[in-house]
Amino acid sequence: MSALQSTTALQTARRLGVSESGLAIVALVGFALLPIFVSGYTIYILPQYMLYGVMAMSLALLWGYSGILSIGQAGFFAIGGYIIGLSFKWIDFGNPAYIAFVVAPCVGAALAGVLGYFLFRAGVRAAYFVLVTLAVSIIVEQVAVSQSQWTGGWNGMYVPRMSLTLGTGTEISLFDDGPIYYFVLVVVVAIYILLRWLVTSKFGKVLLGIRENEDRVISLGFDASLYKTAAFMMSGALATLAGALYGTHAGFVSPSLGGVLFSTEVVVWVAIGGRNSFLGALLATIVVASLSNYLSAIAPRYWQLVIGVVFIVVIIHFRGGIAGALGRSGAFGKHKRGQDG
Amino acid sequence: MLSTTISVLIDATLLTFTLALASLGLAIIFGLIGVINMGHGAMLTLGAYFTWWTMEAGFPFAAAAIIAATCVAIIGLALEHFIIRHFYDKPFETLLITWGFFLVTTEVIKIAFGTDIHNIPNPLPGSFDLGVQQVPAYRMLLAIITLGLFLAIGFVFYRTTIGIKVRALTQNREMASLLGLDIGRTYKLVFVTGSFLAGLAGALICPMLSIDPYIGMVFLVRAFFVVIVGGIGQILGGTLIGSFLIGGSETLFALFSTQTFAQTVVFALAIIVLRFRPLGVLTSATRT
Repeated sequence: MSALQSTTALQTARRLGVSESGLAIVALVGFALLPIFVSGYTIYILPQYMLYGVMAMSLALLWGYSGILSIGQAGFFAIGGYIIGLSFKWIDFGNPAYIAFVVAPCVGAALAGVLGYFLFRAGVRAAYFVLVTLAVSIIVEQVAVSQSQWTGGWNGMYVPRMSLTLGTGTEISLFDDGPIYYFVLVVVVAIYILLRWLVTSKFGKVLLGIRENEDRVISLGFDASLYKTAAFMMSGALATLAGALYGTHAGFVSPSLGGVLFSTEVVVWVAIGGRNSFLGALLATIVVASLSNYLSAIAPRYWQLVIGVVFIVVIIHFRGGIAGALGRSGAFGKHKRGQDG
Repeated sequence: MLSTTISVLIDATLLTFTLALASLGLAIIFGLIGVINMGHGAMLTLGAYFTWWTMEAGFPFAAAAIIAATCVAIIGLALEHFIIRHFYDKPFETLLITWGFFLVTTEVIKIAFGTDIHNIPNPLPGSFDLGVQQVPAYRMLLAIITLGLFLAIGFVFYRTTIGIKVRALTQNREMASLLGLDIGRTYKLVFVTGSFLAGLAGALICPMLSIDPYIGMVFLVRAFFVVIVGGIGQILGGTLIGSFLIGGSETLFALFSTQTFAQTVVFALAIIVLRFRPLGVLTSATRT
């Protein structure tokens, strides 16, 4: 049974892998050409959704590839946003944004590392991990509210737009929406490629193995808790980095950025897009976030409700999300629900 | 110094009982049928809103609390019957589904009752003199009700036929089923009881707080830590000890710092406890 199941998963993955790369190139070309045709608000807001997408991909690495669910990704994202804000406030040498881009992923990875060490080493159930990440999200929000001398409390914190500085003293301003759009796009593509490479590496294969059958991986001599901790650290680092870039793009961070609601929204995006596909997670995030923005203007009261209902339906009926539904083959058409998330 | 110590002890005890009340429904559902009910917070919130609503309609507080808890139990029954019962063998899916229930319920509450903060009058004003400190009478009553609930559940659990059935179920599900126990119905009973207790907790706690759509959220995570630290399946003793460790240390740390910092420290401590006693303080590591 489980052998058949993993064959199906492999075949789906292979089939998706082929079509996914093609689709990714089409999407990339589309996003790269977009500023030629449209301008204004769309070009301003899209990079923020792409960065949400990076957070979604960081969750897909954890949830889809390692079988561990975190509902605290937004906590990491918000930490990144505050780090870049503080970096602009406190650091008056070099390029504060660069420093934040180094510090933020380190802080994210360190936090994830400590939590991962405590939880995975103890071999706690996957469900406890979910609860602890939920607590992370709550704590980040509360700390952001209460430590107002640093974070501005409820009023939030303003962050200047960054500029790119090169070693020779040349400075490229990213103040306009066009240049920063391309900068974010490049970063997102780089992270996407990195993640795709990561899951085909030996490390990624061990993660997949842990998802499919943790006991067997352990008996093959791998330290599963170490791999899980590493995956969580990577995921945390990516989400924090995305948050830092978001902070300087949006120009503003507030406590709700780290809150439980936003954390849950990320889970919904990934569930809809397909937790086993980075492209699915990324594109679903961009599409759903755009839709949310549009529909919440028309029906603010009902949009969140729709999201909740869609989430339940996806969990019950479409485990693989949209990417999973597209990648289903004819021969192995029977959609199977696995044992865990 | 002595009076400070005593008043801290009193505060900690009262918070312990409040937390124990808020965690009881979760402990029962989680401990007995293994469903991690992420909708617990939403059930507390529902209990609070139904109480407020029923009181607006003119009912006295006690009746309103019972009506509210019953309504939450009915919602729990519907949730169990239409969705949860198909997923009992997939704990992780039930976690996600109940989280979806939380999302949907919160939004429905916002649509039906608005996002404004509501307050209900203190049903038992006045205070109780304990010599060193004035204790609000209602908090005192709450502690007594909680104690009563624990005793009642202990009685049902250890002294009645239903209790035997439920215990048989948790000890050996297959064997209990072979001996003719209707597993589906017993699961349903446990889930509905847990929902009722969550609704009741929301109803009883809400006079002390302002009612907003996220009132249950704060309690959800604390209640989970209470249950995990106390030990899964240790419904009575575990929940009380967990509540004492979480609530007591929160009171203690809040003395020296802010409430937020205290809560952060307590969450961190709970995680450390999990590292060394992953099955809770009451459960020895060998038992699974």
